Amino acid sequence: METNRYSRQIILPEIGINGQKKLRDAKVLIIGVGGLGSAVLPYLAAAGIGEIGIMDHDTIDLTNLQRQVIYNTNSVGKSKVLEAREMALALNPSIKINAIDEKLEAENAISIFEQYDIMVDATDNFDTKYLINDVCCLANKPFVYGSIYRFEGQVSVFNYQNGPTYRCLFPEEANESKNCNDAGVLGVSVGIIGMFQANEVLKMVLGIGDVLSGKLLVYNTLNNEQQKFEFSKTQIIPLDKLNFDNKYLKNKKSPNEILASLALEQINNPNIVFLDVRNRDEFPEITIKNSIQIPLDLLENELHQLDSKTEFFVFCQSGIRSKIAVEILKNNKFDNVRSIIGGAKMLNKLLNNKTVLVS
Amino acid sequence: MILLKYFGNIAEKTKSNEEEIPYLDISLKQLIDELEQKYNLDKQSFSVAINQKIVQNIQNQKLKDNDIVALLPPFAGG
Repeated sequence: METNRYSRQIILPEIGINGQKKLRDAKVLIIGVGGLGSAVLPYLAAAGIGEIGIMDHDTIDLTNLQRQVIYNTNSVGKSKVLEAREMALALNPSIKINAIDEKLEAENAISIFEQYDIMVDATDNFDTKYLINDVCCLANKPFVYGSIYRFEGQVSVFNYQNGPTYRCLFPEEANESKNCNDAGVLGVSVGIIGMFQANEVLKMVLGIGDVLSGKLLVYNTLNNEQQKFEFSKTQIIPLDKLNFDNKYLKNKKSPNEILASLALEQINNPNIVFLDVRNRDEFPEITIKNSIQIPLDLLENELHQLDSKTEFFVFCQSGIRSKIAVEILKNNKFDNVRSIIGGAKMLNKLLNNKTVLVS
Repeated sequence: MILLKYFGNIAEKTKSNEEEIPYLDISLKQLIDELEQKYNLDKQSFSVAINQKIVQNIQNQKLKDNDIVALLPPFAGG
């Protein structure tokens, strides 16, 4: 180990050569190399964390550069993880950086998380935060949470030594808080919160100080007020593998399909046409104002009736023929076409329920 | 007195980071309902802390004089 490089931290009594070895042996995954990730990564790399995974599927945009300071102006358009990897290795060539150019999904998360000791949530949306939480619970790994709203930031460590999780603090999944793109943010704000996250990672690896487990740190950069809120583990039972699959994988619909309930929400949308591909004698009759009926057998010959720029929700009796119809339409340059899951049977059921509710 | 503290998008709705209200013999749930109505918070999700401790079940929580009540929404930016 290159001790000279780390001499200024090795002389800290809390670290020493043993602490430096702990850093070298640690494996940390940073999910997202946007504002927070670009603050966390250089400090973990410089401190000598032995293996760092960086995961992001994005490319660098000019609007990123006011806060994602590890990237250069001439890197615009390039892969974030590849540029970040180059930066981190230039800073410290003695460590290993794994660039994972993928979006975090339920399908890839578990196998990736299993290769690391600590995850850093440097993402910018709620869906991914809940996914990270659930995968960490499944894989029994801690994660360091950070997030920003304008001039305020939050930091916490979840699922650390069987401690409370993100769901213990924020059990409700529905929320409409804006991310940095929509709300606006100063580079220093994400930098400060990213520093807090990197600090928690180092403390966890070194076993020093008090980790922010069961505590939410809230920092306001405008008035420098800093507060900690305590929370404990709730009765919420974390998902097991079966429930995880049910929640994240089973319900995953192909992009060519849409749930009948969601389709019906668009029933008065003048830009969407409901295409019935059943034969004319089939029941139940579905009365939708903006609809057209072309039986599947005739569809290919009748395409001229349809405008390929229009968005279509296609249905048949139960959702089988409509999938074939979607294939036919897609092959004929109709890009915005989806098959309604459950078909006319489901639509009829929902429409009738609605009538009951209204009357 | 009860000191109310607001964070994130909640503070934007209330147009202040904190405010003091006279102590009332009401439950936390009643207080939150009133605030939700007054500031039109029905679409926001947030956790509630009393004296820096997150309350898991606001339904049965009583308020005391001089309590500090914080409304904490999750943030998503990064």
